[in-house]
Amino acid sequence: MSDPVSTLRVEGLTVRAESLELVREVSFTIAPGERVGLIGESGSGKSLTALSLMGLLPEAVTASGTARLGDRDLVGVPENRVKDLRGRDVSMVFQEPMTALNPLMRVGAQVAEVMTLHGTPRHEARERAVAMLERVRLPEPGQVARAYPHQLSGGQRQRVMLAIALANGPGLLICDEPTTALDVTVQKQMLELIAEVAPALLFITHDLAVVASVCERVLVMYGGRVVESGPIREVFTRPRHRYTEGLLAASKLTPRGTRLPTVQGSVPSAGQFPDGCVFRNRCPHATPTCETAPALTGDGHAFACWHPAD
Amino acid sequence: MRGRTNAGLVAGGALVGLVVLTAVASFFWTPHDPTLVDAAQKLREPGGGYPLGADKFGRDTFSQLMVGARTTLYVGVVAVGIAAVLGVPLGMIAGMTPRGWLSELIMRVNDLVFAFPALLLAVMFGAVYGAGTLTAMIAIGVATVPAFARVARAATLQVMVTDYVLAARAAGRRRPAIAVRHVLPNIGSMLIVQASVSFAIAILAEAALSFLGFGTRPPTPSWGRMLQESQELLFSTPRLALWPGLAIALAVLGFNLLGDGLRDYLDPKLRRIR
Amino acid sequence: MPSHAGTPLIEATGLNRVYHRPRTSLTRPGAAVHALRDVSLTIRRGERFGIVGESGSGKSTLLRLLCALDRPTSGSIRFDGQEVSGRPERRLRFLRENLQIVFQDPMSSLDPRMRVRDLVAEPLVALGLPAGDRVSELLAEVGLPPEAADRYPHQFSGGQRQRIAIARALAPRPKVLVADEPVSALDVSVRGQILNLLADLVDELGLTLVFVSHDLSVVRHVCETVAVMSAGEIVETGPVDDVWEAPAHPYTQELLRAVPTLEGLW
Repeated sequence: MSDPVSTLRVEGLTVRAESLELVREVSFTIAPGERVGLIGESGSGKSLTALSLMGLLPEAVTASGTARLGDRDLVGVPENRVKDLRGRDVSMVFQEPMTALNPLMRVGAQVAEVMTLHGTPRHEARERAVAMLERVRLPEPGQVARAYPHQLSGGQRQRVMLAIALANGPGLLICDEPTTALDVTVQKQMLELIAEVAPALLFITHDLAVVASVCERVLVMYGGRVVESGPIREVFTRPRHRYTEGLLAASKLTPRGTRLPTVQGSVPSAGQFPDGCVFRNRCPHATPTCETAPALTGDGHAFACWHPAD
Repeated sequence: MRGRTNAGLVAGGALVGLVVLTAVASFFWTPHDPTLVDAAQKLREPGGGYPLGADKFGRDTFSQLMVGARTTLYVGVVAVGIAAVLGVPLGMIAGMTPRGWLSELIMRVNDLVFAFPALLLAVMFGAVYGAGTLTAMIAIGVATVPAFARVARAATLQVMVTDYVLAARAAGRRRPAIAVRHVLPNIGSMLIVQASVSFAIAILAEAALSFLGFGTRPPTPSWGRMLQESQELLFSTPRLALWPGLAIALAVLGFNLLGDGLRDYLDPKLRRIR
Repeated sequence: MPSHAGTPLIEATGLNRVYHRPRTSLTRPGAAVHALRDVSLTIRRGERFGIVGESGSGKSTLLRLLCALDRPTSGSIRFDGQEVSGRPERRLRFLRENLQIVFQDPMSSLDPRMRVRDLVAEPLVALGLPAGDRVSELLAEVGLPPEAADRYPHQFSGGQRQRIAIARALAPRPKVLVADEPVSALDVSVRGQILNLLADLVDELGLTLVFVSHDLSVVRHVCETVAVMSAGEIVETGPVDDVWEAPAHPYTQELLRAVPTLEGLW
């Protein structure tokens, strides 16, 4: 079990693939019990940020900077030490519950396996696995434990993934679009469950409304940088960065016959973002000043914009 | 991403390139006439205009190897050509009508041919139509049809469930047009990989047939027959078996490496990250 | 809008579709899955008709039947008075000329080995219609530069690819545009552009729109009529504002409650 008082501190996290900088100078903290959302569209670097905390970056992609959970380093640690942290101190729930489970293994055994991997005796792990399945509110956990993944629904499989993630009592839970593949009616229960059981949560999604229903604080990423961060209510009701502003406007679906507010252009592909402010080629307020990269400034509610909304 | 250089692809390409260059060069120049029997040079040691020596009839080994490359490529091209021309359409038909009786029939006949040893088929063809390069090529080609049909069918099945085929149907395309416009271009890369692997198998089969006396007839030089002719001198003059053996091994290795390399190179999922 | 606006254009009656799972036992046949149960609907000329449902609701099956990409087990579909179901492809020309589809994921619905020019012209070629300058005209209509014609789909972003798919669907000047979750694979900042474009095109060209989505709030923005599907049946249908304000069926009520919104924050 990990130290209950373990705060995640990420400082200057940068992720590179060869010459491309995919995530740049990302810093944030998550205190125990805190639920933080990480919002971004395709190419924003949100998933890479999460994977680098798990030591799961693909080959040829490297992370630099520091990330510490309590007194343990997560970034820049050799693979054999990350392996001990992964699943014990930090664990992750992925988007696709179908492919993340071994189709040939009973569900209970898969939950027990992560515990035996980190030193729990086999018989004890088996009992605790059923208890974990109950904790994620699967009905008749004893029966579910004996089922194979294909016998469960998408929502049930995602609960099993959550049970696996929580099995070793981690200090931090990372969820990467955990409900995107689920139906909305199933999604709601899953979100409530995640908010309840997470020791500390980093919740990654492209869906603003989903983040609003789970998290207290939010980081908005675009083009590999955090462009705005702060308490959800404040960021969503009074966005300062022009990208956040545009994203929020575009998320509101107005009644029929009205035009939707849009953000011009499209999200560039990785490495194609402009220098300086990454949003300046799509920003209606951009000026020559924006060719210099703005710093993320502000206490509590921070933003990186030369011409913020007020 | 500009993919990392694929060592297998480069090595395979180099070996295959070497065989092709040698074959092309042999049309214009060889050190000696490879079929010229010269008793004075019998079992001559390497050197002095005979870089790899001469065989028991006094024929220059190097020249024979050069012209033998020609035979090898000729057999491979024709055998793989026959196999592809017959196998690909059959496999595509089977893949585009997966539940029809025609598909069933094609694949069962395919299994039958597949279960029949290729060399036995070639020997039978040789016995009936007379041994020779052409007979060997046709036999090897026919025996390779099922390999192509299977790959084509499996690839076609994958393409047929894609959204773009559905979109083509919705646009009003009929089946033949879908086959030509959408299926064939998208299964092409897998067929190229299959072709290079089959090419390697065809080279081996031709060498084996020539060794058994059912392949290329004398005096046309062939690596397989060179091996056969050197058999009795294996202990006294091993180099006579070494060179054609090495040529066969390198050519087969080359085509196999090329096939594996192309598989990685042409697979977009492996080529670029995300 | 044409003078006969409001008359029925697509009429489906008593549609059933039963699939058979592959058998898992030697003695028993594979289980039957009732994907669609006795579905009937009428779509009128010029209408913007939404079909809402979650995965497994039967909305995709219904869409395939309406587009004659699959055949119903029983029931009938009439397009402009002509029976569609059960016809071989060569006798579906009247439908293909008049009804075109935009698929969900423009990444997979555009053949990666074809140039944009050929992709956009494909319906014209398939129907034997002259292409002429139509491709550049269509690209302009959806807001793409003429140079786009010579490039391949992977050279475009998701939103641009969906524009290509829309241009292609409009090529034969159809009366009906069927859009299957056209924005659910797109980034939020791009979604609005595509929805605005669709609305403009439907207005300008006087199209009838069939819009399939899992998201009732998107359908509310786009459509005037909605059919809510669940477990292979239409459980509720009517003007979208009525369904949104006062859902009658328990399933619709649950669906509306479950949709996460930002409303509470404003």
